[in-house]
Amino acid sequence: MIDLKELILPKDNLIPLLRKLNKDARLVIPVKNDHGDTLFTEISDLDTTEIDLINQPQASLKPFFLPQQETLAHYSINSNQYCFTAPDAAIDTIFFGVRSCDLTALLYMDLIFSKPSKDATYYDRRNHSLIITLGCNNPFENCFCEATNSGPYLEYGYGLQFIDLGDRYYVSAGRGRGADLLERWSYFFHEVGEEDHKVRYQLFLEARGQFSRNIQLTHACQKLQKETVPDEIWQSLAERCYDCGGCAYVCPTCTCFSVDDKPQSSNTGIRVRSWDACTSDGFTRMAGGHNPVTRDRQALKRRFLHKLKYDFASHGKASCTGCGRCVDICFGGVDITTFIELFTRQQNP
Amino acid sequence: MTNSIAELEEADVLLITGSNTTTTHPQIGRNILKAVDHGAKLLVIDPRRTDIARQAHIHLALRPGTDIALINAMMRIILDENLADDLFISMRTENFIQLRDFLHRLDLKELAKITEIDLETIRKAACIYARSSKSVICYCLGVTQHTCGTDNVQAVANLAMLTGNVEKKHSGVDPLRGQNNVQGACDMAALPAVLPGYQSLEDPTVRARFQSVWQRELPRKTGRSLTEMTHAGKDGPIKAMFIMGENPALSDPHLNRVEETLINLDFLAVSDIFLTETAQFANVVFPAASFAEKGGTITNSERRVQLCRRAIPPIHNCRPDSEIIMELGHRMGCPGMDFNSDAEIMEEISLLAPIYGGMHYDRLAENHGLQWPCPDRHHPGTEFLHKYYFARGKGQFTITRHQEPSEKATKKFPFTLVTGRGSYHHYHTATMTRNSIRLVREYPQAKLEIHKDDCEKLNIGDGEMVELHSKRGTVQICAQVTDRVKPGTVFSSFHFFEVPINQLTVDVMDPKSKCPEFKVCAVAIKKVHHD
Amino acid sequence: MQDILTICNYCGCGCGVYLSVTHNHVVGSYPSRNHPISRGNLCSKGWHLHEFVHSNKRLTDPLLRKNGVLEKVSWDEALDTTSKALMTAKEKTGPDSIGVLSSAKCTNEENYLLQKLTRIGLGTNNIDHCARL
Repeated sequence: MIDLKELILPKDNLIPLLRKLNKDARLVIPVKNDHGDTLFTEISDLDTTEIDLINQPQASLKPFFLPQQETLAHYSINSNQYCFTAPDAAIDTIFFGVRSCDLTALLYMDLIFSKPSKDATYYDRRNHSLIITLGCNNPFENCFCEATNSGPYLEYGYGLQFIDLGDRYYVSAGRGRGADLLERWSYFFHEVGEEDHKVRYQLFLEARGQFSRNIQLTHACQKLQKETVPDEIWQSLAERCYDCGGCAYVCPTCTCFSVDDKPQSSNTGIRVRSWDACTSDGFTRMAGGHNPVTRDRQALKRRFLHKLKYDFASHGKASCTGCGRCVDICFGGVDITTFIELFTRQQNP
Repeated sequence: MTNSIAELEEADVLLITGSNTTTTHPQIGRNILKAVDHGAKLLVIDPRRTDIARQAHIHLALRPGTDIALINAMMRIILDENLADDLFISMRTENFIQLRDFLHRLDLKELAKITEIDLETIRKAACIYARSSKSVICYCLGVTQHTCGTDNVQAVANLAMLTGNVEKKHSGVDPLRGQNNVQGACDMAALPAVLPGYQSLEDPTVRARFQSVWQRELPRKTGRSLTEMTHAGKDGPIKAMFIMGENPALSDPHLNRVEETLINLDFLAVSDIFLTETAQFANVVFPAASFAEKGGTITNSERRVQLCRRAIPPIHNCRPDSEIIMELGHRMGCPGMDFNSDAEIMEEISLLAPIYGGMHYDRLAENHGLQWPCPDRHHPGTEFLHKYYFARGKGQFTITRHQEPSEKATKKFPFTLVTGRGSYHHYHTATMTRNSIRLVREYPQAKLEIHKDDCEKLNIGDGEMVELHSKRGTVQICAQVTDRVKPGTVFSSFHFFEVPINQLTVDVMDPKSKCPEFKVCAVAIKKVHHD
Repeated sequence: MQDILTICNYCGCGCGVYLSVTHNHVVGSYPSRNHPISRGNLCSKGWHLHEFVHSNKRLTDPLLRKNGVLEKVSWDEALDTTSKALMTAKEKTGPDSIGVLSSAKCTNEENYLLQKLTRIGLGTNNIDHCARL
């Protein structure tokens, strides 16, 4: 990364910089709202908004690139001809304060939506976006990005990466537009000194020491390549899965969706894409009623195997970024970490 | 609920009766499972092997309608084992001696036989419940929808008082409320016998207060209950009805009778968001705004009054129900129907209902709501009820005796049908959930749970259609082979209008609560043969 | 896109739910993490709460039965007909011949108003809702 720029931004210059960036693009930043929730929010007024760079944003960036429900096209039927109108084009957006895990997840989504051909809606949004990440000096309670190799700091993928050094940010530019921005607004920044390097490295080490959970994710992935999971484990997980779909919906890398045509009148309608979850019964049920997966015993099997076994086999990396969002929200307490713990504890028969 | 939902997580013993909690109240089920993961013991009383029963340390799979016998047996065991809380009984309760004498005359073996549960299992459960001082009971419609529903609830209360498991944090008796605002509809006195805040219709001081605010004389006579109205029949006393957001033509027992009543009304107006089964009988139908299109407050199961915020203006030509009611009020010359906002309506509620005294919109907006009783602006709300004394002073032990359900399985109708909210993906008469693409996909049709042994005997395969008869009606339904129900018992829900299961159910009610007996009805099953 | 916090419309738990709104359309629903009941997750009904709001089966206009068929009419006609019919019943067959069902799906304010109207407008205590069903 020698050719890429690294600079220091004094914290006093953050808002002035964001104000400049906001001139040419929509700005989306984590904001703590009146109800105490931290959400990625489009900023309308930088001076009156409570930007929250301390708490983990409740949702990842997924809803901005793959919304819970989106209209892919309007259709109308005129003299037996279908006519499709595309939805509004994406607008330039800069995301600031994105955590390492969430950017890693977005890079995974890029891969998913590039095959077999590029998904037009997704890539339209993606091409109009720039991601500015914030390295995690204080990992959150349920995080385990160290185990998934997606944090607390990143080495690539970002437009810009900010590391909080107390009164200043250590800013690294990625390729392309990130570097251009640094160039364009260079007067807000100054050069990196020897001390800055040292502080940054020290903070990185400290952050890594703060993870409260030690999840044997890579071990689980490797073990899955060689061994089958005993049915009892699937069954015990399935018995406690209440089919809310929450784990898939909050997951930044879960990309299952369904497409439905919804008639609006006798000759018009919309084609809608919405989130789906491979954990639910209807996901695999065939038209005749047969279902190759028995929910009672295997509800979570496909989700965990996809993330930890198949993706690891094809990309060398699990499609879990350790953001911890699915942990502690599961009604039955059977999230991916429960599975990893159960499976890695399991002795070779 | 006398407790808060969050408290359940800290309990040591949870006794769940007549509630498939993880399906019908998922967030409460979440706390129960967390408590179990922290080491709490889970006891479940349910004739079906529901999801939560599968997680139980002890599942008491009683014969439907024998709750009182089971709880009396548990209490007798607690006395025999010296596990009663004597200090609590003497300080806070009345009538213990009568209960004790009654329990001592009971034959435990006989009770166990009635319930069809092994006596040793009952003994274990009773001891686990009584030995802990942080025991909570959660109950739902499985307890109340019987002809002896009130007595069932009293029996549960007796059990809790006998062991002193009330009046404290982490212990109490918690009825789980079904609909999102069933608690609030009761609090607001959409009930025939009380005024808002459960105040007496007869109390002269209360009447005077309401009449001074409402500027009109109040009717004296206690009104008719829902089923008394919907079952009034062809020449019954009810001639005109206004129905807001309810669907009795699918949800009430003995539907043929409901239909007869509705068809023969002189006038019926219905306000709803969809053209429900009930609205199809109406003379006038009002298109109401949905929850997303209006503000207001609703009160959850733990008595938390919460603010709903309008997300979008009413769609099409719809209007919120509050507007519809006030418009009708104006036209009828009813005073006090000129509120400009929901907040203003709540101000009047706060004036009249002491338990809502401190429920002001500015406070509700700040705190994710407040739990009643909250008598004034400065009161922080109440996490758990009955802290130092029961609402009526001392807790009263009342003797409850087992009585057989109104209908028994016979040779002609050999199966016992239990009905309830069967699916996690649907709600009540499913007017909303069946308009949701994904939920329909997940649970597309009504199912009848039949035990696999019974299926074998009747030669019924999974997914095959069967005909279900009772003395009152017949429906066709898809069979689901399962071990969730016991042999001889079948279960179905009432979500689907194509399978109006309530055409079968009995129309006998609990004489005190007017709660219909949805949980026991004798039926026969016949396989449908296609030529 | 706007996210508005409201309370789920299904069961008695009372989850805090955000509704996502674009161009006056509800296009999503997700839990509040800070809310004491939802705590960052919803059941399947809650996650799909937005789906029925814009269903094409929603009632769009007031309907009045004319010659046995429900026909679209103006609000005034529907309201006038209803208030007249209820007042006629009150006079002809007495207040207690009118029955009112309120709703466990409606707000406290709506329930309060309807029981008030029933008690002092129609003059009867014949009001109930589906608490026992």
